[in-house]
Formats: sequence, structure tokens, C-alpha cells
Amino acid sequence: MGIQRRPLIGALASLPWVSTWAKSTADWQAWVDQARGQTVYFNAWAGSEVINRYIQWAGQQLARRYGVKLVHVKISDAAEVVQRLRTERAVGRGAGQGSVDLVWINGENFAALKEQNLLFGPFAQQLPHWQWVDVTGKPSVTVDFAVPTEGYESPWGMAQLTFFADARRLPTPPQSMVDLLELARANPGRITYPRPPNFHGTTFVKQALLESVPDRAVLLKPADATQSAPALAALWRYLDAVHPHLWRQGQQFPQNQGALRQMVTDGALLLGFTFNPNEAANEIAAGRMAKQVQSWQFARGTLGNTHFVAIPASAPHVAGAQVVANFLLSPEAQAHKANPTVWGDPTVLDVARLPPAERARFANVSLPGQVAQPAPSLLEPHPSWVRAVEQGWAERYGR
Amino acid sequence: MNATGPWRARWSPGVGGVVLGLALVPPLAVTWLALFWWPASDAWRSVWAHPSFFTALQHTLVSAVLATTLAWLSCAAWCRWIMLQRRVGRAHVGLPTILAMPHLAFAVGVALWLAPSGWLLRLVSPWATGFEWPPNWSTTQDPWGLSLTAVLWLKEAPFLCWVAAAHMQHHTHRQDWARAWVVAQTMGHSPARAFGVAVWPPLAQRLRWALLAVWAYGVSVVDVALVMGPTNPPTLSVLAWQWLHQGDPQQQAMGVAAAWVVAALALAPMAWWWCARAARLGTARVGAAVGAWTPSFFALRHGAWLYAAVWVALALGSVMGPWPFPDVWPASWSQAAWLGVFEAGDTLTDTVSLAVGAASLSVAFVVLWLECVPGGWQRHWQWLLWLPLVIPQVFWAMGLYGLALLAGAEGQWWAVCVAHGVMAVPYVWLVLGPAWQRVPGHHAAVLATLGRTAWAYRWHVKWPMLVPALCVAWAIGYAVGLAQYLPTLAVGAGRLSTVTTEAVSLSAGGQRAVGSAYALVQMFLPWLVFVLAGWVARARRIPGVVV
Repeated sequence: MGIQRRPLIGALASLPWVSTWAKSTADWQAWVDQARGQTVYFNAWAGSEVINRYIQWAGQQLARRYGVKLVHVKISDAAEVVQRLRTERAVGRGAGQGSVDLVWINGENFAALKEQNLLFGPFAQQLPHWQWVDVTGKPSVTVDFAVPTEGYESPWGMAQLTFFADARRLPTPPQSMVDLLELARANPGRITYPRPPNFHGTTFVKQALLESVPDRAVLLKPADATQSAPALAALWRYLDAVHPHLWRQGQQFPQNQGALRQMVTDGALLLGFTFNPNEAANEIAAGRMAKQVQSWQFARGTLGNTHFVAIPASAPHVAGAQVVANFLLSPEAQAHKANPTVWGDPTVLDVARLPPAERARFANVSLPGQVAQPAPSLLEPHPSWVRAVEQGWAERYGR
Repeated sequence: MNATGPWRARWSPGVGGVVLGLALVPPLAVTWLALFWWPASDAWRSVWAHPSFFTALQHTLVSAVLATTLAWLSCAAWCRWIMLQRRVGRAHVGLPTILAMPHLAFAVGVALWLAPSGWLLRLVSPWATGFEWPPNWSTTQDPWGLSLTAVLWLKEAPFLCWVAAAHMQHHTHRQDWARAWVVAQTMGHSPARAFGVAVWPPLAQRLRWALLAVWAYGVSVVDVALVMGPTNPPTLSVLAWQWLHQGDPQQQAMGVAAAWVVAALALAPMAWWWCARAARLGTARVGAAVGAWTPSFFALRHGAWLYAAVWVALALGSVMGPWPFPDVWPASWSQAAWLGVFEAGDTLTDTVSLAVGAASLSVAFVVLWLECVPGGWQRHWQWLLWLPLVIPQVFWAMGLYGLALLAGAEGQWWAVCVAHGVMAVPYVWLVLGPAWQRVPGHHAAVLATLGRTAWAYRWHVKWPMLVPALCVAWAIGYAVGLAQYLPTLAVGAGRLSTVTTEAVSLSAGGQRAVGSAYALVQMFLPWLVFVLAGWVARARRIPGVVV
């Protein structure tokens, strides 16, 4: 806490600041001492081999440096954890009596846990590596889908809606949802998106919403009936126009993004999309995608957000969990994660502000399949829009 | 069962009561916890009002009704075939290999063949079809649920056949039914027709629990429906599962309500069947009609090739690099998926140790049940052992999880092991129940007259005779324990991962090679045990005792 404010507070009387700084350092050292020998159960989505392997790497480092044993509890959806924590509370499990120490989370799952006081904290700002987090350049590190994090979760990585396609089949990628409609008209049955409420499917629809509304400011406020009607009407007009030209005439949709990617690599679809800008590069490096696949973001921006780690209020190993969260935020761990041959997940840190030695870790490696021209990251609408969009979608297209 | 009566009296009713009490714990816990989580009335209203609800219900009903009917007809045809071929004694030999194949692995393998970008179309494209890209055909995940029906049918029919074979081999049935069959033929029926008239009705009567299990599985299945079922909307069980997996409490309540609807559907035939019994309706007459109707030609002899094709598809799928349509072979091969599987050593040891524990527990429990619970109680309470097959898995998982929470045992190896063992009990009982009944009674009487104890009889005569059956039952328990998904996740607090949980979570990420590799391991491990069990059973076979 103290370290980050050094330039601001330096102008003030230094004595109280020094004592705060000394206190927070001592506090942190106390957590680190307490963490030694603890086993941290990290509940994280395990649908990707590269991510699982990265967590394994982090576990080895943590065991060596801090004597913390990291156990990756493999889950297929973070909502499982939300439900588990709620059930544990219902049977009377209090602080220190839960089964989860750390959880990989964002968006509505975070909103649900925070609202029900199921989280430990605030802790994020007290982590020593918080000082390098890019709070100004990446506003979503403190505002998770329009919900302020208030230190109840620590940022882990950045995500942005990114499209990919085989350049041999699609030499000029579409640059907007309108372009996409034209492309679908010219190539019927070769474009689709996962069925909402799947996370990626809803994201695609939200991108369409963002590009159809005249005024985006309305999306950052809670969706109320009068305000949301015109915005949603524009969205339905767009989807009505594009659906007849989609895969299986827009009557059926794939289950998830994994299925979508598989259909692209098999040749059933022209293009797919992901939230990891380096996914295609990673898949090419792993030999699962053709080398000619390229990634791009719409020129005028695509939806972006941050994913976090949070500590449940019932976590038995709070000290160990904070040490893990701090390590995941370290320049070393962030640089290793950002390497497209490892995982390729963009960093939450302000690389320009890092000391030169740490900055050098983020050397630019250019790999086939990477995004050539990064586009602006657009803020996620307020979570209440998700419900409005998903309900409307189910009523119109989900019968 | 009959001749062991005098000795059972020494153990029961004390021990028998304890065993029966143990059998009662899981169903009571499930019921109690299900009521604890009973959703509020507005959750019910939102479920009825949800635009996808009725179409999803329709998808569920269509696929479950068709798959159950087809499996039933196939089973009738198969039973008639083994009767006509006089293969009843060794009819079941190949079946456990097919039974051991997990549903999900089977569905993934079938999709590799049937999908619009699958092998069947690649083999004839583009030279015969003209397709440069996969067509927009609905060969898998079709909006009518037909591909889902086909997979359920092909996976459930062998299960029914296996149960039927166990009944046909029962020593009294075998002779009675063979006699009835001959008598029916002397009355002028053709051999096939005679089967339908004389053998099938009493056999069908005994298959109703298995049929109910097939129906319940078809109604409540999630993983197979995700791979093969309609997607917009999906089946009701998938919809319930998706709602249960939303962070928003309101949608989770809707998920619980929808899971209740699924449970009600799964149990509906039981209600009908009790009513029919009360009204003295002749279900046997329906059975007779089914036995007589079935087509005379059935590709039973070559059916095994279909299952072999699934093995081949998964084996090749696990080493595939990019595989663009219409290439028959992928552009490159890769062993990366297998390296990943072998690196996950903990997963493999957890998988095997849990399956071994579950198999041993379930076999021990069923042996205790058969030895200690008085015959009358056994007949009266046998439905308890069937429950894990009939009640939807979501509820079992929730109930066992609740028990583990109360005991403070979630995430513990032994708790997961018990949960898996509970799920394996009905299958183990299906093997051991008939085997226990096949034990000839005269040995017991001979030993009693020689003044030997009941233990001497059990230890030196009865159990050695049953070793082959115990081996097969243990192998089945092992296979069932290994294929568990929801109980592992719920009771294990996600801390124990098995090849099954890996296969499902990786298939959620759409990773074909790794998913196929895990599916293959998931098939190979039980297959290995079946081969071993078969080998031991053959070595220990005693003339005159059929297993």
C-alpha cells in the first residue's frame, strides 16, 4: 500500500509514511512466514492444457521460494465454485473452514460472491507487486464488468475479443459487425457463434450490441426497461439480419468456444473468436492449427476485460493464498504467462514503468498467428445488460 | 439362497439389519437434502415461463422414448437370437467390453465418424460428393435429437442384453424356459414365434428395473447430450445443468427446479407401473407382442465392428495435428496429448486407486447383503440397490456431497471412494445376485450332516465356486467407479481428478487430441481389468457352474 504511493506522499511529512511503509512490509513478511508449509487449493478452469501447465510451473516456483504447495483444483466452470461456497455457508462453514483457498474468477461470478460477502479482503492493494499494476492504462483491473473490485480480487491477466481465420480462405478480415454481416451473406453457413448464455456467445452478442447502439454511455449504467428498449431493438435488428446466413441457418449453435475453434480448424467455418489474443499463436506453436491462421481485432475496438484471482472468506489458508496471488502478479510470472509459447495471456502490469531488468523479461517475440495491429479495448457493459441480452436472445432465438 | 437358510439365521437379523440400514443411508440423505434445496415458487414460475423449456422437454422426451424403445426391441431380438443359436451359456462373454466403454468416450468416438467433418464424409469427398468444405448437414447435434437417440440406443442395448443374459442363465429359469420354448414349438409355433410367446414374457417381466434404469439414464444424461444432442435449445437435463452452473442465484434455483422435473420424468414409469399392477393390467401381454414383432434379421454378429470403429477413431484422434476437411488423414501427427496424459501421474494413480477401492467396497457390501439379509427382506428392499441407477445423477451427487459436508469429509479420498462404491452397487448386485442363486443347495446339506460350521461351508465350498462371478463383479464395479463424474467432482471438492473428470473438462475446452487420449485411457483401464478378470474366472471355472 505504502510503496505505490511513494511519489504522492513524498511531498508530505515523511515520518508517518515511513511508519506505514515499515508496518505494511512487516505485515507482508508476517503473511509470508505464516504461508510457509501451507497447501493452497486453487480452483481454476482447466479446459486448456497450456493453462494447466502454466499453473504447474507456478506451483514449482512457489514451492521452491515460499514453501507453499499449490494444488490446482480443476474445474470446468467458475460458477461451480460460487455454488460450492454458497452451500458451504448454508451448512455453517465459517472462516477457515471452507474447501477453497483461491479462485480464478471475473464478471458475474465475482459480482455474486462480493454481493453475498463470500470474499476475503480487501487484500489486493496490500500485495507488494500491486505497485506495478497498470491502473490508469487498463481501467478494467479495478472495475470488473462495471463492478468496482475494491481490493477483493487481484488482477491476473487481460483478455480482449480477438478473431482468427485461415488467411488462405479469408485474405481480407472483416473489421466490424457490419462487415461480418456482408461476409456472412457472401458465404452462407460459414460463420456462427456459441449459443448464449455461453460466455463467448454472450460476448459476441454484446459486441454486436456495442456496435448497434447510437450512444454507448447507456451500456455502462444498469439496464432499465425504458433505457434499454431502443438499444436492444437495434441489436435484434442486426441479429435478425445476420442469422439466416449463419451456420445451419442460425437455427442451431455450437456449445462453446472450444467447439467453434475445432470447427474452424476442420474447415467447417471461415472464422472463429477467442478472448486470448495469443490463442491462435499458441495453437500454431502447439501444432494444432495451420501456420496460415492469423488473428485480428476490429479496427475500432473490441470488448476487453480482466480476469482475477480472489480469496473466499472461508479459505483455510489465507496467508498462502495471498502469497500465490502476489507471485502471480510478479513481473517474472506475468512475463512467463505473456510468452505466446507458454500461454500468451497479456499482462496486467504497466511494463513501461518496470525497472529495466524486469522490463527485459517482456521481450517482444513475434510469432505467426499473433495480432499484428492491436485495437482499442472497449469496456464491458454493466452486468445487468447480460441478463437483458440473454433473456431477449432466448425468447427470440432459443425456442 | 434356499439351502443356506439354516446358517443365515445365526447372522441375521442383527447383521442383516445393519447392512439394510447402510443401504438406506444414501437414499434418505438424498431425499432429505433434495427437500432442503427445494426451490422457491418464483423459480418454478420462471422455469415454466422460460422460452426454451417446452422445446427442451420435447427433445428430452423424444430422445429418451425412442432410445429406450429401440434398446428394448434390440434386446428382445438379441435374446431370441442367442436362444435360437443355443448360445445362452456363453452369450454375455463379449458384452462387458462394450459395457466398460464410457458413454462419453463412445459419443466422442461416434462423432469423429458421423459429424459433417467426420471420416465418413471425408472418405467420399470431394471426389464423390463435390464438397470442398464440410456441408451444413445435421448429422450430429441435429435439432430432432436423432443422433443423440442413436448413441443412447447403441450404448444402452448391450446393458439390457447383459441383464437379460444373467436372467436367462439362472439355473431354474434356464431349464424352465428351455422347456417352455420346446412345448410352444410342439404346439405349432415357429422357433422364433415360440420365443415370443413362451420365453420373452417372463423374461421381460424381470427386466423392468433395468429398463427403468435405461429410461432414467436417457432422460437425465448430460455429457453425451452435450456432445451429440440438439443445441438450441438443448435437452432439459442440459438446460438444468447450464442453469445450475450460472453464478446468479436465481438461475441456480431454476436449475434445481428443472432438475426436479428431470427426476420426476425419470421416476414417472415407476408410478405408471405401480398403477398398472394395482389395476391388474397385463404388462406381460405387451411384452409378448414385443418379442414376436422384432425383425428376424439383425446385424448382431457384426455389431461389434461398430464398437471397434469407435476405438480406432479415438486412437487416431489422440495423435492428430490439424485436420482440415476433406483430408482423410491429418496434415501432421503429434504425441503431445499422450505426453500430457503421462505427465499427469497423480491423476492416473487417483483414478486407479479410487476404482479399486470402489470395486472392493461394492463387492464386499453386496456379498454381505446376499449372505446376511434375510431372503424376505431382500425381495422387499431390492429396489434400494437399484436407486443409484434410477435417480438422476445430479441428485445423487448433491446428496452424497451433503453427507460429506456434514461429516466434514469432502475432498477426502475415502469419501470419494465410498461415493463411487455406492454408484457401483447396482451393477455388482446384477452379477452377484443371480450367481448366488445359482449355487446348488445340496453341498450345504452334505456339509451340515458332516457337522461342519457355516463358515467352513462358505470358505471351502461356496465362495470358491463363486470366484469367477466375484471376479466379473469386481471388474464391473471397477469400470463403474472409474466412469463416475459428478460424484467425484461434488464429494471430492474438485481436489481429486480422474481420467473421467479430465476427459470432461478438456472436452469442455474443445481439445480433440487430449480429450480423445483421456477417453481412450478411460476405456483401456477397465478393458484391461475385464481381460484379467476373464482370465482368472476361466482358470477357476468349476464344471457345472456357469458364470
